[in-house]
Amino acid sequence: MKFFKLPDLGEGLQEAEIIEWNVAAGDTVNIDQLLVTVETAKAVVEIPAPQAGVIAATFGQPGDIVHLGEALVEFISDEADNATVVGELETTKAPQQTDEHFFIGSPKASGQRQAIRATPAIRALAERLNVDITKVSGSGQQGLIKAEDVERVARLKSEKGPSTPLKGVRRFMSLTMSQSHSEVVAVTINDDAQLGNWGKKDDATIRLLRAMVAACEAEPLLNSWFDAEAMAYHSPTTIDVGMAVDTPGGLFVPVLRDIAKRSDKDLRSGLNRLKADALERRIPIDEMQKPTISLSNFGTIAGRYANPVIVPPMVAILAAGVIRDEVCAVSGKAKVLPVMPLSLSFDHRLITGGEAARFMAALKDSLEA
Amino acid sequence: MNMSFSTSDSPSTDDAVEPDECPSPDIGGKIEAENKECVLVEAINMALHYEMARDDSVVVLGEDVATNGGVFRATLDLKQTFGAARVLDTPLAEGLIGGISIGMATQGLKPVTEIQFMGFMFAALEQLMCHAARMRNRTRGRLSCPMVVRMPFGGGIHAPEHHSESTEALLAHTPGLRVVIPSSPIRAYGLLLAAIRDPDPVIFLEPKRIYRAQAQRVYNDGQALPLDTCFTLREGKDITLVSWGALISECTQVADQMLEQGIAVELIDVATVSPLDMATILESVAKTGRCVIAHEAPKTGGIGGEIAAQLAEHALLDLKAPVLRVAGYDTVMPYAKKEALYLPSTAQISSAIQQVLNFA
Repeated sequence: MKFFKLPDLGEGLQEAEIIEWNVAAGDTVNIDQLLVTVETAKAVVEIPAPQAGVIAATFGQPGDIVHLGEALVEFISDEADNATVVGELETTKAPQQTDEHFFIGSPKASGQRQAIRATPAIRALAERLNVDITKVSGSGQQGLIKAEDVERVARLKSEKGPSTPLKGVRRFMSLTMSQSHSEVVAVTINDDAQLGNWGKKDDATIRLLRAMVAACEAEPLLNSWFDAEAMAYHSPTTIDVGMAVDTPGGLFVPVLRDIAKRSDKDLRSGLNRLKADALERRIPIDEMQKPTISLSNFGTIAGRYANPVIVPPMVAILAAGVIRDEVCAVSGKAKVLPVMPLSLSFDHRLITGGEAARFMAALKDSLEA
Repeated sequence: MNMSFSTSDSPSTDDAVEPDECPSPDIGGKIEAENKECVLVEAINMALHYEMARDDSVVVLGEDVATNGGVFRATLDLKQTFGAARVLDTPLAEGLIGGISIGMATQGLKPVTEIQFMGFMFAALEQLMCHAARMRNRTRGRLSCPMVVRMPFGGGIHAPEHHSESTEALLAHTPGLRVVIPSSPIRAYGLLLAAIRDPDPVIFLEPKRIYRAQAQRVYNDGQALPLDTCFTLREGKDITLVSWGALISECTQVADQMLEQGIAVELIDVATVSPLDMATILESVAKTGRCVIAHEAPKTGGIGGEIAAQLAEHALLDLKAPVLRVAGYDTVMPYAKKEALYLPSTAQISSAIQQVLNFA
């Protein structure tokens, strides 16, 4: 207790007159020690100390009237001085936390927003039409999904049934093909190579790769990267062939590196490994990157000619169809020979028709040897 | 503003005050300690001591502030240290306190005025709303009113009528008054310094329930915190919880409980309730898509409604669920016995958060 106030002296008495102080400021008192003598309307009362302590101050002089509840003495106390005329403040016993970390304003400019931009009404519409709003692309500002976007998806769905979203390599193929279509100015030339000189041990894919090396030597520009934005091209020092591999999961294009410097055996084992890896979908990422020219050998399946699609920044792709027996004119006489159909697409923004034709000629020479 | 503030480091010096307002290092022997473990009301006292020592034009006035040291002891020892000419006990007349303060402020002093309880401010409102708030505008910039009006506010201390209300929205609705509410000793110290240094009137509302509820190490270095910005107390991606004043302690508890359940609450202390720093709140809601606002004041016409309205205007596309408010009831603030039923509880805040999270 810090302040000792005039207590209720009984019988509804509201005030008392100080007769005599028995203590003074600075005195040490014990509990029940006489503090002050007062006189009420009924009696002279001796008021004892409610607690032991040191008196800080006494209030009032003999002859002064003190009222019920007014302070008589103040004790010096260790108690925290919360003051307050009204109410009670909750006081911390021990510091709850001495350190505090906070950010002035936002933690950081994350710039994060909700991925789906749609008002509640549009979300409700999507729910009603049983449209997954995460699959709707918005046509409004900053991708805002509008009612018509939801309705379009709903209509497609009702006409064509539920859609299967493209994922993984098929999705990648789709994006790549669109990019190619919008960028590349492709021209395709077709020809046949007569394989009369081939023996039983000739491996069509290896022979094609060998022929590509010869053709690239004749016309190195077809083995390059074209940078349309800079209007410039880069000449790689190696021939790295992107091999189109058909798998149930989609089209993979692993890269067979530096084919000019590798033996047939090495190429074949590399090829087998790429195919196996593609089937198991475990091609290391660096083996999928940066081919300099492409080969699509669909001759193992079916088909004769094609217009293969160039993936930028490459500028050429060769495709080979099924080898067939055909009647050929050899030295003025009809002769049945195995024939390989060839299709070469080139990017006419960089490559001239003459260069492509000479490339094709060199290719044929190599294959027919 | 994107700035991290940590008490474990020396606070950065480039945020709050202009270079010419940087505290002078020569403050004599008047400031006793470099830093001190203190509760909120002691941090306020420390800031007052600091600024009175630094700036002779700062004066303190109000009922019982001088000899008595204030009924909550916020102005303890100021009179002993700076003398009766700068620390004035006024009559029990709030209209007069407001008027004197405006006179002082327009004529070169920086009064820091105490209204003993916010419930006593009404007699002074005519001065604050009709004069202090518009002095700069009225005089076309010739006079400004650099005054701070400190008022303890809010419930939770079992006080009688008129001692427990949270009427910050009344003041926030008055253009020209800046309304600042600290929620920890560190922010009380930094924000009060900023309020005193501000060239216009600042209403500084002190959540008295937490005057002595939490102790922190406060650096008595004269570094102000910026006004007009929120403080992000907890970083989280799942939901934004916006509050201010004493309720921040409940919100902090809720945020910590939620984190144990794997829900990351971003807790924002608004701190300056007028003008509002909506940029911080909007940025957070853009990230979380969900928001709960908690305040002690009655729900109707409260600042929570203003924040919710601005979210509706600017964050519609980010919101995954309605914005919920946890607030006091639209009733007269009850007396001590039923006070706890009136004040928003951790359970109410948690339940609102769950509701918003489960909405969709």
